[in-house]
Amino acid sequence: MPVKLHVQNVSLNFGGIKALQGVDFEVQSGEIYAVIGPNGAGKTSLINSINGFYKPQRGRIIFDGRDISYTPPYKRAALGISRTFQNIALYTHATVLDNLMAARHIHMKSNMLTGALFWGPAQREEIAHRRRVERIIDFLELEHIRKSVVGGLSYGLRKRVELGRALALEPTLLLLDEPMAGMNIEEKEDMARYILDIHELQGTTIMLIEHDIGLVMDISQHIAVIDFGVKIGEGSPAEIRQNEAVIAAYLGEGAR
Amino acid sequence: MALDRVDAGIPLRESAPGKVYQSRLTSEIPSISPEADTLCKNFLLRVRELGGEVAQRKKRFGIWQEYSWREVYDHVVNFSLGLSELGLQPGDTLVIIGENDPEMYWAQVAAHALRCKTCCVFSDASPADILYVIRSTDARIVCARDQEQVDKLLEIQTEVAQILKVIYWEDRGMWAYADDWLASYPAVQAAGQASRGRQPDLFDSLARATEPHDTIILSMTSGTTSLPKFAEVTHFQLVYGHALNHKYVDSRQSDNWLSFSPMAWLAEQALGFASHLITGVCVNFPEGPETVPTDMREIAPAGLLFPSRVWENLARVVQFRIGDSSLLNRLMFRAFMPIAYRVIDCEDGDSPIPPALRVLRWLGEYAIFEPLRDKLGLTRARNVLTAGAMLSSDIIRFFRAIGIELRQFYASTESFGTVHLRGDVRFETVGVIVPGVEIKIARDQEILIRTKARFKGYYKQPEKTGEALDKDGWYYTGDAGHMDERTGHLIYLERVKDLIELSSGEKFSPQYIEGRVKFSPYVQDMLTIGGVDLDFVSAIIVIDFQNVSRWAEKQGIAFTTYVDLSQKPEVREIIRGELRQVNASLPSYSQVKRFVILHKEFDADEAELTRTRKLRRGALQDKYQDLLEAIYTGKSQVRMRAEVKYRDGRAGTVETELLVADV
Repeated sequence: MPVKLHVQNVSLNFGGIKALQGVDFEVQSGEIYAVIGPNGAGKTSLINSINGFYKPQRGRIIFDGRDISYTPPYKRAALGISRTFQNIALYTHATVLDNLMAARHIHMKSNMLTGALFWGPAQREEIAHRRRVERIIDFLELEHIRKSVVGGLSYGLRKRVELGRALALEPTLLLLDEPMAGMNIEEKEDMARYILDIHELQGTTIMLIEHDIGLVMDISQHIAVIDFGVKIGEGSPAEIRQNEAVIAAYLGEGAR
Repeated sequence: MALDRVDAGIPLRESAPGKVYQSRLTSEIPSISPEADTLCKNFLLRVRELGGEVAQRKKRFGIWQEYSWREVYDHVVNFSLGLSELGLQPGDTLVIIGENDPEMYWAQVAAHALRCKTCCVFSDASPADILYVIRSTDARIVCARDQEQVDKLLEIQTEVAQILKVIYWEDRGMWAYADDWLASYPAVQAAGQASRGRQPDLFDSLARATEPHDTIILSMTSGTTSLPKFAEVTHFQLVYGHALNHKYVDSRQSDNWLSFSPMAWLAEQALGFASHLITGVCVNFPEGPETVPTDMREIAPAGLLFPSRVWENLARVVQFRIGDSSLLNRLMFRAFMPIAYRVIDCEDGDSPIPPALRVLRWLGEYAIFEPLRDKLGLTRARNVLTAGAMLSSDIIRFFRAIGIELRQFYASTESFGTVHLRGDVRFETVGVIVPGVEIKIARDQEILIRTKARFKGYYKQPEKTGEALDKDGWYYTGDAGHMDERTGHLIYLERVKDLIELSSGEKFSPQYIEGRVKFSPYVQDMLTIGGVDLDFVSAIIVIDFQNVSRWAEKQGIAFTTYVDLSQKPEVREIIRGELRQVNASLPSYSQVKRFVILHKEFDADEAELTRTRKLRRGALQDKYQDLLEAIYTGKSQVRMRAEVKYRDGRAGTVETELLVADV
């Protein structure tokens, strides 16, 4: 399988704080790759480096064989990297539908003028995009809140809407920052099912950060473990379970 | 709020036993022409007459997708011949599982034309339930809507060798299934289309050859006590039943019907499916169960049928939402509701409405009632029906006050019954007899019905048929009631076996009390307990979590879970208030003296409710034996350990302290 994403020896400092130190790993095309680690280990910094919010001082990000280390975030999105946020970053006062349609923006060709006239090609384009969005709504079972304002929705639903928005970009690499944080068991299981469906149905490569070790072990093919900005282990779920360094750092010394 | 009307307990008058009541209406007993005596023949006629007009609408991907009669015809023909290609023989049964969709309607017509029976199953049925249905109905093919339903069938695959194929039509999630046993709906239709190419007129000739007394639907009876039976419903029962009621429930071709009640329920089959084929009314299928409120508003249907539970719920939601809305809305609601109630009291008492009141009601119409009906999607509603469990008069009054004439449709799977006529709705009755139906009250108050619009018998259970139908054609409903000789209305009390005799020798109807209490926005369910060996009446209350939790939030009462909320003293206080209010209108012997708020909701998956959400009283009383003991031995609290079965099959236990309180 070709390499989808290569995080090459990336180091990121904030003043004296070393958020990431020489982190290096490869994500294969079409797999679910999980990054786990305790709070403050640098997981979110890693995702922010991949999608371009942070500029690592050292190392490179290679996406589809192309060095994107100096590409700005919006261009990385157009290349096929989309993400969700740990703290949900939706347009709170817009409806679910508008949030998803906004994400189609990078695929739209009509400009301000044709959009304002809304006639001919612009109208057809809007319809085509709406159709794509409706498929996502159907897929994530958001029909009943299609026209609800995002701010009034429950946390679990907002997480789902955010996933929908990430999908609306039609990414080839989907970065999920703690997609199941703060959910109850049922919501977590639903979310895990959606992630697996996205993976199987569309062959999207997924990289996710997660706290819930059990779920990660169930759904991902490879796992990397980060602690204090350093990768301390990598492998299949079975290997991670056996890894001494991981057990010590993540599960605690006495966990065995 | 609406409890000012005192219904003096239960009017257990003796109707003249054995007297046969006929309809007082002068219209003639309808006759059926042989060209249109089956649903399939009607289908062909509608297709010919209405061709390009919209027959069905389904909301998919946010848009109402329309199917003309001609398109529906193509779908039906292809599917029908496809079923035949799969090996479905005349007399076989097709089981259908899922929420209502056009595909279900097509599948039914398709199967009926092949002279096969269909049996619709509630979408939340468990694999064991489905197994029972398949075994008892000689099913050969199953139509299962989606992955969820298909998974249930795969679970029992080894036990149902008789099933030739499982056909699904929602293909989401189905890509990973590579089992020969499964087939997609379009694939079956494609096979049918090929066969249609060879014999283009086959379907029409099959449909014309259907006989009125063919069994077309096996309708599962709700089974509050025993294992469900399957009533054999014929073309004739539905066609004749429609002829009996169409003057009073006048579906028209230009109307929209909202198909939402489960097809497993014969009322939806009769008023939705059969009316659709006979009158050509356009049937609309909502996007999903959660979107019904918005979809309903877009369609503004002329006809709809909800089980009484849904109306109860809707009344609670409206009252609660009003409390949550702007100050102006609240003031208007509070100002105009009493006026509307006074108007309907005048109407109900046949006294003239004072002109001032009339003007105020008219103002209220513009100020609050019309916008409210618009919100509910009931602006064009003409045939607003309730069936199933008895709906309390408070709820019918509530809807009537906001301008919706909610009418009872009293019928069972086995037989047509009575209906409220427009403009003649009496709150405590279930309607009048229409021509073609006769009613008799037996000595033990059981309601007997004789009409030609009745079932053929219970499938493969002649001895049960014999118990329900006597040789003169009287159907024993198992319901207790009496005729109001003055108005000609039938009054329904309770299931005969559920009427409870108290130690004092008086009888009371638990459903009646429950109906009244459930008008409270805070009470979702209630089980009333009493008996010859018990000194007083008591109740187990299930709170409406949504409404109570919002109320608690507003009051600043902190709570964590359902269990916690249910045992809050403040919650107990409001429930006590509701009970006191209802008690005030009951005779002292049937007043609720003690109550417990349960730590969980009643659940059909735990066999506490039937799938139509009626209480399974026997099962509940057995299950909560400890609770009853605590109530009647005067204890103030009881420790509950309850087995909880989760949807995914896991089991767990919940342990909690429940408080028993006096009203």
